[in-house]
Amino acid sequence: MLLEIKNIFKWVTIGGNRTFLLKDINLQVQEGEFISIMGPSGSGKSTLLNVIGMLDGFDEGEYRFLHEEVHQIKEKQRSQLYKQYIGFVFQQYHLIDELTVYENIETPLLYQDVKSSERKALVADMLDRFNIVGKKDLFPTQLSGGQQQLVGIARALISKPRLILADEPTGNLNSKQGEEIMELFKQLNKDGVTIIQVTHSEKNAAYASRTIHLLDGRIENTIHN
Amino acid sequence: MFRNYFKTAFRNLIRNKVYSVINIAGLSMGLACAMLILLYTKDEVSYDRFLPNVSKIYRIVSKQVNPDGSIQMQSGNTGSFHGPAFASGVPEIVSFVRIQGDYLNVRKGTEILPQEGHRVDSNFFSLMQFQLLYGNAKTALINPDAVVITETVAKKFFGAADVVGKTMELQRNGVFMPFTVTAVAKDCPQNSSLKFQLLTILQLTPAEITDRENWFNFFLNTFVMLAPGADVKQTEAKMMRFYESDAKDMIKQMVEKYNFKSKASYMLQPYTDIHLSKDYRADNGMVGASNPIYSYILSGIALFILIIACINFVNLTVARSLKRAKEIGVRKVVGSDRRQLIWQLLGESYIISLIAFLLALAIAQLLLPFFNELSNKVLSLSYLFDWKLLVGYISLFFITGFLAGFYPALVLSGFNPVETLYNRFRLSGKNYVQRSLVVLQFSLATLLIIATTVMYKQFHFLVSKDLGYDDKHLITIPNVSNNEISVFRQELLKNPDIEQVAIRNNGFNITVARVNVDKELEFTMDWIDAAYLPIYKIPVVQGRNFSMSTAYDSGSSVLVNEAFVKAAGWKNPIGQTVDFWYNKRKLTVIGVVKDHHYTSLTETIKPQLFSNDHNNFGLAIVRIKEGTAAAALPYIEQVYKKLLPLQPYSYEFKDISNQRQYESEARWKKMLLFGAVLTIFISCIGLFGLSVLAAERRVKEIGVRKVLGASVTNITTALSKDFLKLVIISLLISIPVAWLLANKWLQNYPYRTVLNAWMFVIAAVFIILVAVLTVSFQALKAAVSNPVKSLRTE
Repeated sequence: MLLEIKNIFKWVTIGGNRTFLLKDINLQVQEGEFISIMGPSGSGKSTLLNVIGMLDGFDEGEYRFLHEEVHQIKEKQRSQLYKQYIGFVFQQYHLIDELTVYENIETPLLYQDVKSSERKALVADMLDRFNIVGKKDLFPTQLSGGQQQLVGIARALISKPRLILADEPTGNLNSKQGEEIMELFKQLNKDGVTIIQVTHSEKNAAYASRTIHLLDGRIENTIHN
Repeated sequence: MFRNYFKTAFRNLIRNKVYSVINIAGLSMGLACAMLILLYTKDEVSYDRFLPNVSKIYRIVSKQVNPDGSIQMQSGNTGSFHGPAFASGVPEIVSFVRIQGDYLNVRKGTEILPQEGHRVDSNFFSLMQFQLLYGNAKTALINPDAVVITETVAKKFFGAADVVGKTMELQRNGVFMPFTVTAVAKDCPQNSSLKFQLLTILQLTPAEITDRENWFNFFLNTFVMLAPGADVKQTEAKMMRFYESDAKDMIKQMVEKYNFKSKASYMLQPYTDIHLSKDYRADNGMVGASNPIYSYILSGIALFILIIACINFVNLTVARSLKRAKEIGVRKVVGSDRRQLIWQLLGESYIISLIAFLLALAIAQLLLPFFNELSNKVLSLSYLFDWKLLVGYISLFFITGFLAGFYPALVLSGFNPVETLYNRFRLSGKNYVQRSLVVLQFSLATLLIIATTVMYKQFHFLVSKDLGYDDKHLITIPNVSNNEISVFRQELLKNPDIEQVAIRNNGFNITVARVNVDKELEFTMDWIDAAYLPIYKIPVVQGRNFSMSTAYDSGSSVLVNEAFVKAAGWKNPIGQTVDFWYNKRKLTVIGVVKDHHYTSLTETIKPQLFSNDHNNFGLAIVRIKEGTAAAALPYIEQVYKKLLPLQPYSYEFKDISNQRQYESEARWKKMLLFGAVLTIFISCIGLFGLSVLAAERRVKEIGVRKVLGASVTNITTALSKDFLKLVIISLLISIPVAWLLANKWLQNYPYRTVLNAWMFVIAAVFIILVAVLTVSFQALKAAVSNPVKSLRTE
């Protein structure tokens, strides 16, 4: 099992009232799964994704990732954990504007103290795989949305994560670009990468083997495709 | 890793030109100021340390203490007797050298040139190891007719430096005598308290050498060399014991003869302490005495400027963090931990600091001549450059980078990635740190502006206050004695441009006498002729002036000023007696002169006494008609040269020499102005940057407001208001502080300007105006922008 979430609650207190963002979530994810999370705005999709990605904490419950009890370990170990095993893809791509395509993809490796020669090889490999060798010296603002998202995915993949968390990866793309990205995800999943994506689109959700529907912070149902 | 940081930093710099320019400009100006001030203080503390063995050289200084414990006199001066006496009686004192300032005439062909000189003991160069270019230090000052000159003087008189063996004609006791140049010294370094140009041997009469009464004469500087390892305190104690036994009889005699009540004590002052000493100043042939307070004030101003520049950096970086937040979030998500981010952000501030630092070096070099003029120094990077200065500059760089970068790095690296990446991120609304920093900036700026205003007002007061006499169109000419004055006057008055001619003693003389039988009074004594008071337009308020008709009013008549009358406590001053008991002379007061400021306005009017004794006359005073200087001056010179062909001619306008008394005030005025302008400028560019960011941050709000019908004025006001509030708070803080400080500073002056409310109002209005202009420019720009554009960006 890749990760297991048990009875997770997350809330904020506004004016003395407790508002639940996540309510009693239970989830098990096996290695190699492709999962979609769906639900209306404010249902807690992104929050759940961020909790899984360890970017956000939770108030109650248990979370085990591989063999680590995430709720018990320290911040530093936690970041070590996601640094090593998780890649993120965002709707807004979130590339660093001041860095070129090449440098954006290279950045995670820098934080993992990968040697320079090895870095070069890995980035070159990634550029080649995504067919963006010609764009490597361009800055993000010089690329189309689809291309930017490709770079975002390349950056997420460069550190060979076991899990990709994608928050509406096609949300800002036209349908053709979106389809390309989804095909890419499908391929990645075939290669053994576990993927959890948040999406609004039924069509995109269908790429997954399992779709989880959220409503008001709670899992409403799970459908196996 | 670092390459990645560098790239991000540089690209950020280039993309955000406004902030980069503001940060770099501000920091480089602040750093340049700090560098210059570091040079200044370095020069101050480096004084005299170039001399070998300087740690063993001390000056004998003395203190006269009254029976009630108050200090009657503190002086760095001693007499010819002290050096040899202490050297013979105290074994720790290995050798001594006496140095006396001298001013003499030198004949060069037919020209007579005045020349500064020093009279020194033969072993001068064994203690003070100044460098010689030509000649032998050991033998240079053996022969009584030996003269040692510096390179500059050699070039002035001979046109060459290697002039050993040549003859110079120096005036001694009114006669020109040949002296032989035995050595040529390198010009004294600029950071030397002793800047000799010409050295001759100090000649003493047998009486001066043996008479123990000379324990009580003080007119030169005596330096001693202590034995290696000698303890200063013990040596001083031994000196006191020796003095008390050797001078025992003399002390007794002096008490009987002159009724001496104070007790003298002798101390040793390290040679390197002389330059900055307040109690025992560098004088009588030593120059450059400096008050350490100037170093403190200057360092304060430099620190102000640097802090303000750092505040700009901090505020702009934090304010801009909205834009950086996404990058930080991304970096965290892809695996950076907080420490790495702190290093990256600190690194960026160091890159900016480095650029600013290099720029500052250039600015400092460029401004050096201007700064030298302001500080009255001849500083240069080259002669002060050593590893200590290097360390100082490098630490300046590190401190600046840290001050500027630390807080923003701490704040920015703490951002929560989820918030920044999901546009949920807001800077906390209050921003207390940023606001207080702006308040601090403007408080410092206001403080400096008010200080400058007060300084200007006081300066204006000093130079324009009624002195009690008319110093316009008065020319003073030294080297005219009683022998020549009547012919000189006769000849001059033939010229219709010349109104009047008078004479007095040259220089300044303070003495003591008894009034009311036994009350001792210290006063200034001037020797004047009958024309003196009329020419200065100083009224005689009681009694009469000296009489013109007799050659001089009998030697026993004197005039006194009102302060003298007050100090003596006389109701009927005319006919009172002033008893110069030590000369066995009693003088009678025949008139009272109205008080006038005969010294600088930095001193109160002290008791003054005028005698008509012509033996001391030496300075002629000529009043010319207004606007005739061009014609009268050549005429005066011509008459003088005909009358006194062997004397160098020089003249001075009295009002100009009066102004010169306030040179240091004039300099400080300029420095403060410069500092104030810089702080205001740097504060304002910082404020400008902040207003740009605020407008950017509120672009959506502005759009919404405009759609809802707000006018341009509404929005401009709304945007400017926040900043103006801060400026007003800083005014409220700084004005009382400035008032207190200004009052305290003015206490140093016995005659001072009054602090008016308008000075503070003007400063406040000025600051507000500048701030409004700075802020509203950007606010206006934001207010007139099209709301459709700003609202669509979401």
